[in-house]
Amino acid sequence: MKANKIVVAVMVLIILSPIAFSAASRLLTESPKPFLERPDAKYENCIRDTEYMRFHHMDYLKEVREEYVRYGIRDQEGLNSCKECHASRERFCNRCHNTVDLNVDCFGCHYYPETAPATSN
Amino acid sequence: MEIAEQTSQGKPVWIEPDLDFIRALRKRGGESFKQCFQCGTCSATCGLSPDTEAFPRKEMAWAAWGMKERLVTNPDIWLCHQCNDCSLRCPRGARPGDVLAAVRQMSVAHYSVPRFLGRWVSQPKFIPVLLGIPALLLGLAILAREPMEAVLGISHYTSDIVYSYSPWFPHWLLNSFFGFFSLIAFLAMSAGVARYWRILKTTGIGNGAGPPAKALGPAVVSALKSIFGHDRFTQCTTATARSFSHVFVFFGFIALTVVTLWVITGRYNPLIQTDFVYPFGFWSPWKILANLGGTAALFGCVWMVWERLERREKAGISTYFDFAFVLTLGLVVFTGFVTEGMHYLRLVPHRHVAYFIHLVFVFALLIYLPYSKFAHIFYRTTAMVFAEYSGRKMGDPVLNRGERE
Repeated sequence: MKANKIVVAVMVLIILSPIAFSAASRLLTESPKPFLERPDAKYENCIRDTEYMRFHHMDYLKEVREEYVRYGIRDQEGLNSCKECHASRERFCNRCHNTVDLNVDCFGCHYYPETAPATSN
Repeated sequence: MEIAEQTSQGKPVWIEPDLDFIRALRKRGGESFKQCFQCGTCSATCGLSPDTEAFPRKEMAWAAWGMKERLVTNPDIWLCHQCNDCSLRCPRGARPGDVLAAVRQMSVAHYSVPRFLGRWVSQPKFIPVLLGIPALLLGLAILAREPMEAVLGISHYTSDIVYSYSPWFPHWLLNSFFGFFSLIAFLAMSAGVARYWRILKTTGIGNGAGPPAKALGPAVVSALKSIFGHDRFTQCTTATARSFSHVFVFFGFIALTVVTLWVITGRYNPLIQTDFVYPFGFWSPWKILANLGGTAALFGCVWMVWERLERREKAGISTYFDFAFVLTLGLVVFTGFVTEGMHYLRLVPHRHVAYFIHLVFVFALLIYLPYSKFAHIFYRTTAMVFAEYSGRKMGDPVLNRGERE
């Protein structure tokens, strides 16, 4: 019967530990906020609203890629345009991608500075 | 009861054997119970049976006489964990363990609301219907997504997101669809349990005339303690593998349930980092717990199937009812892992197909809960609570006493 109790205690600890982890990481670390930069006054807003960009930027980039490569539509804002405002990969892209444990393969080909001096905010 | 009254007055009793019930019991794996000559070895060897009105001897007599009412209104059938010590030692090969399993199966069907679903779930010929219903409902939900979003005023970008499932099955639809049908299943289950509890309180063994041994609250607590600790289950000596494999499936599925509830409430849960609820990274504590739980549950299911196929003597007779449940459980986890793997491999549309099949099995598991062997969670808990409530104690096995000391 004692062994049973130990098994139950271990199992309950394992099962409840993520709650403790979540609570602790909530208290100890802040969730990353997008680091917005606007170096040039001509960029008033992003090309889409914030909500769309937060969840669907990857979708947008894929669409642009397909239109560029397959249909030759070349006058659109693509990955290169992002760094007009969001100059640093470290400050902008990686903050969220690291948090959700995501490895993107964009930068194997596309040049995007890892770090860049911060511009006006 | 009528018969009890007559016997206590010393009057002769006329018993009409319920032949239909006897035939039905035979079909569900209790083939050999007519061999029983009431020696009582089974009750003596059982480590779980109480000292008074011990089982499974009396159940064997009732089964032979086809006394269905007595069997299904009896908490003892659920106090048995089918260790099969009795079946092993039965001098007549009457296999009392299998008889009680068959009675439990009949009991689930007896209390099921609506009745016809209880019948469908216990027959293989209804598999196409039983899996067709979830597939149809899920398909309809997917088709009705856009009109429903228009009516409800839910807007989200419907373009082709790179690696997600939400264009097909957004979280609002997933949560409300499964929430709604789980609620229906839960209500049907509650109706069955309420009927069983009422009958136990009026006719159940150990009820007697006296006051309850424990208040309901403490009875529930000690029953749950015993369930989590597998206290009674691990008393088994012949079929020890049953309890160990059950531990894996039990805690594995609890882990999966906790993760599921956490994810469903994620958007509103202040303990989760609210900006990034989905997706969880592979090394997120929640993902780790889900993968561990799934592995444990799948391992337990495979072990159970292996025991049933390879050690038939110890595991007891396996019926369609047993396999349908353990295979559904296993397939829920297996299709979940297949979906996860295809998701990581970015296989489109394979991962969508796998996810759909996964959801069909999850849906089947939930919606048929009150009619399948899954219902044992509730009926067994009810019986164990009643045993605590009425003060029915686990006895000391007479035949094992010598071995223990």
